[in-house]
Amino acid sequence: MQKSYKPKDVAGKLAKGFLHNPLTPLLGVFLLIMGYIALEVTPREEDPQIEISGGAVMVVLPGATPKQIDNIIVKPLERRMKEIKGIEYIYGIAAKNVGIVNVVYYIGENRESSNLKLYDKVMQNMDQLPKGTMQPIVKPFDIDIDIPIVTVAFYPKDGSNISQIDLYKKVKYVQNELNRIKNVAKTGLKGEKKEQYNIQVDLKKLSGFHLSMGQIVKSLKSLAADVPDVKDRTKDGKLVIFGVKNAIESIRDVQNLIIAQYMGSPIYLRDVASVKIGENIQDFRSAEILYRKNGKFEKSKKQITLTLSKLKGTNAVVIADKIQKRLDELKSELSKDGISFKITRNYGVRADEAVNELVFHLLISIVIIALLLVFVLGWRESLIVTFTVPAILAVTIFVAFLTGQTINRITLFAFLLSLGLLVDAAIIVIENIHRHLHDHSSVDKDMDEILIEATDEIGAPTNVATLAIILTMVPMAFVGQMMGQFMKPIPQNVPVALFASLIVAYIFTPYLSRKLLKKPNLHHHKHHFQKDILESKKDEK
Amino acid sequence: MKLFEKIIYSILNSKFKKFLVLFVTLLAFVGSVMMLPTKIVLAKMLPGKSANTYSVYVDTPTGSSIEQTKKVTVCVNKILEKEKEVKDIETYLGLGSPLDYAGLVKGSGFKRSENIAEIVVNLTNKHTRDEKSFMMVHRLRPVIQKSCEPIVKGTNIKMIEQPAGPPTLASIVVELYGQNSKKVRKIAGEIATILTKTKGLVDVDVMQDEIFKKFELKVDKEKVIRSGLSIKQVNQILYLAFEGMDVAIKNSGNSPEQIPLFLVLSKKTKELSKFSKHDLADKLASLKLMNKKGMMIPVNEIVTIHEVNSSPTIMSKNLRKMVNITAETDLVSQVYPLLDARSKMKEYFSKDYIVTDTHLFNLRLKDKKTGELYDLDWDGEMKVTMDTFRDLGGAFIAALILIFLLMVVYYKSFAISGIILLGSFLSIIGVIVGHWVMDVFTVDTFFLTATSLIGFIALMGISSRNSLLLIDFTIGLIDKGMEKRKAIAVATATRAKPIFLTAAAIILASTLLARDPIFGGLGVALIFGTIAAVAISLIFVPVLMDNTKAIKE
Repeated sequence: MQKSYKPKDVAGKLAKGFLHNPLTPLLGVFLLIMGYIALEVTPREEDPQIEISGGAVMVVLPGATPKQIDNIIVKPLERRMKEIKGIEYIYGIAAKNVGIVNVVYYIGENRESSNLKLYDKVMQNMDQLPKGTMQPIVKPFDIDIDIPIVTVAFYPKDGSNISQIDLYKKVKYVQNELNRIKNVAKTGLKGEKKEQYNIQVDLKKLSGFHLSMGQIVKSLKSLAADVPDVKDRTKDGKLVIFGVKNAIESIRDVQNLIIAQYMGSPIYLRDVASVKIGENIQDFRSAEILYRKNGKFEKSKKQITLTLSKLKGTNAVVIADKIQKRLDELKSELSKDGISFKITRNYGVRADEAVNELVFHLLISIVIIALLLVFVLGWRESLIVTFTVPAILAVTIFVAFLTGQTINRITLFAFLLSLGLLVDAAIIVIENIHRHLHDHSSVDKDMDEILIEATDEIGAPTNVATLAIILTMVPMAFVGQMMGQFMKPIPQNVPVALFASLIVAYIFTPYLSRKLLKKPNLHHHKHHFQKDILESKKDEK
Repeated sequence: MKLFEKIIYSILNSKFKKFLVLFVTLLAFVGSVMMLPTKIVLAKMLPGKSANTYSVYVDTPTGSSIEQTKKVTVCVNKILEKEKEVKDIETYLGLGSPLDYAGLVKGSGFKRSENIAEIVVNLTNKHTRDEKSFMMVHRLRPVIQKSCEPIVKGTNIKMIEQPAGPPTLASIVVELYGQNSKKVRKIAGEIATILTKTKGLVDVDVMQDEIFKKFELKVDKEKVIRSGLSIKQVNQILYLAFEGMDVAIKNSGNSPEQIPLFLVLSKKTKELSKFSKHDLADKLASLKLMNKKGMMIPVNEIVTIHEVNSSPTIMSKNLRKMVNITAETDLVSQVYPLLDARSKMKEYFSKDYIVTDTHLFNLRLKDKKTGELYDLDWDGEMKVTMDTFRDLGGAFIAALILIFLLMVVYYKSFAISGIILLGSFLSIIGVIVGHWVMDVFTVDTFFLTATSLIGFIALMGISSRNSLLLIDFTIGLIDKGMEKRKAIAVATATRAKPIFLTAAAIILASTLLARDPIFGGLGVALIFGTIAAVAISLIFVPVLMDNTKAIKE
């Protein structure tokens, strides 16, 4: 036996250390399990989260023209906003009655502190608001919460004549039900019509009775007053509670409201106005839906859209799934009331589709590479390289999970991008082992020694080369703007994957080679260039 | 392998052949880079993405009623209904649709007025559908705009697609700054006209309120005070009568909210027969106010009516007054129409203004008569593109420097590091040519995108790995006592197999990437870049290695 080979590089040392270690297969299994768990647990979404901070400050000054608003509200407010650090753009909008200042922070600014700064600045300057303005409204925007992941349109079923108000009440109930689902954040309605008593005064009748609008207002206000219950005590100290009932119990109470006396007889509100329970007619907003039935479009129907968004960093797929399940449960109940619904947006399904498609692509790519290696190196070698791929991906996904990332389109692209790179290390190692095994100079050497030496030989250049690729990825992390945020998963994950690929290649490739590969029986026949070396060495002597 | 070794050896031994290799490489490099300015390969930040949904934004002129807006949406829906791939359509009148990525930056969430509507169109699954969503938008856009925009004069209909990458206000945004709002309005109109005429641009819109006719009621102060009324009362009653107000609240256990008591004049009695001062005066005559003494006073006796122009909303950005003019691109990159429009603008405005270039593509107009200044800045996707390409360019240069330093540390030789760097940089030939090839073979334009650049940056590392292993092996052989040229040839032949193998792995892994609309650029850059990198590291790099004195025997 020759003296055992002394590894010079980390590669050889790792190979040597793990070659006979019984923990090596355990480590492999452990990595794969961790990766699988991470793949299942990590939240999925379609697009990566972009941290955009900003907000709008709205100040209402009734009756002011845009020019006035611009001068007394927008301009001073803009100047104040200028004092905040980290703001990139300030947009001012001076419309009639209202001034709005939108601020957008530099991308990547911390959202919480940005919002705080915005509030702080507005609150500090409350005293400088012009007279007559209403309380300023500060609305920070929040992508995660603001962008709904599921929208559902509710509309009257065919043949049902449910009123807009009843539809609204029912949808409100559904909204409450769905809001209970874990991690559902903001829910909202669009196109809803609220209930109200519509008192539509006939101008002609009004002047006929010599009445003014002011009188009607006064008598309505006097009627609709709610007072808390009154407490009184009996002699022996018992409580007696009594309260005035709201005078308006039903629509009739309003209709029969006496607003004036005319020639001795009372004038009721119903005499001058039509009083009806109905929807809020002053709201011009509405929503409609057109959908196919038996392949043909039906007539446009009024609808209410329920929007649901999720908390940051939670799994869109799971939430959307739960929402859908709950909706299915409510289906028969809604149907009884004459309501149908349609899910008009489902980012959960989209995210899942995108993720599954990419995972499928990853698998196909792995299979293709495995097939290629079968032809070039042989099936055992191919098997070894193919095993390293899931191990590397598992490590990467696990690290991504630990650092709080989500699985989205861009992370998966980072994986696809690194796929071509991360088999490299394993291919280089296995190719060198293959070459050494079939090399005639190693005929006398021990199998273990060949494995370690082969791994060690390419260790240094592979380390440097991989480091070079990692280095190329690093500057990408500093790309600014929205695009930089969007691509962030690439510089975050590719270096991890590459690093993992090195370690996995050094540990598992020699180990698996020892288990799977056999040293071929070779004749003592020299390869031509080795002959050259030997000859030249002879010459030196 | 033996054959390949011989070829390399013969190249290294012939000065002419070495020169030929260097010359051909240079030629390929210059040729491929020239594809960019000659527009054979077009650049764009991100290509379109086929989605299952898109939106239509309807903007009738400011001051239009919800009924008018609805007429336009009905017309749009009629056209959409005929499409067999449309699954359902949601129309949101007077408000924005549920917020999405595109709407987030387009201010969809804040929309609340009678002259706007948004339509969400859901399509059948993109996998089973033949037509890509952006092709459908491209086809329908002219049809919808042609038949529906004339319904209400001044209507603007935009087709909004979901962005493939980060959302922007529009593909092309011209920010026009100036103090003189009348002049700004005029210039904005002219810019819009130029943009409309530019090929490849659609959905041109000036983001400002249209000026419309309205009536202003001037209250006669003396009469008001004499008649025992107050101006506040007049204002309130007018608002109450025509707009209506919640005057009281009823609490109810059965309703999710308090029920307001809403008071307003009935629709029939408040309606004017036509838009005229006379009709309004008539109506106001029948609306009476009661003074403190209980006397009834008709409104028209204390006010005078004037017809005026509405005062439009004033917009500003970073404390400067601004008007935005936006345009979308139709299947083309925004870079070229922008340059086109810019040169047209320069020509057009040079009549009345002195046009000077400011930062990048921005222009400054100086009125020849008054000396007033107007700034014309480009924003939107264009700015994001410029910034991204600039940043990625920076990242690329940083990557080059880092690799160089790493190699210098490893080899302690500038020459060898330089060879590796040059070898990896030249893979750009493959990247650009690859895009050209793809463009020739695909139906729609295949753009050089931001993801192509990412691919190229990644490629740098990969091809440096090839050269590195090659040089390392050569040095190893020389150390064992082999002659330099022989060593290079042997090393090249021996490393050829793993280089081919790893290259094949990258190419195969990237083929699926190349089919993706967004990451196609990355895939193509990797595939063709790797091919070029292999050729370069197996033929070009050995020649350089032979030429350098840094590798000594």
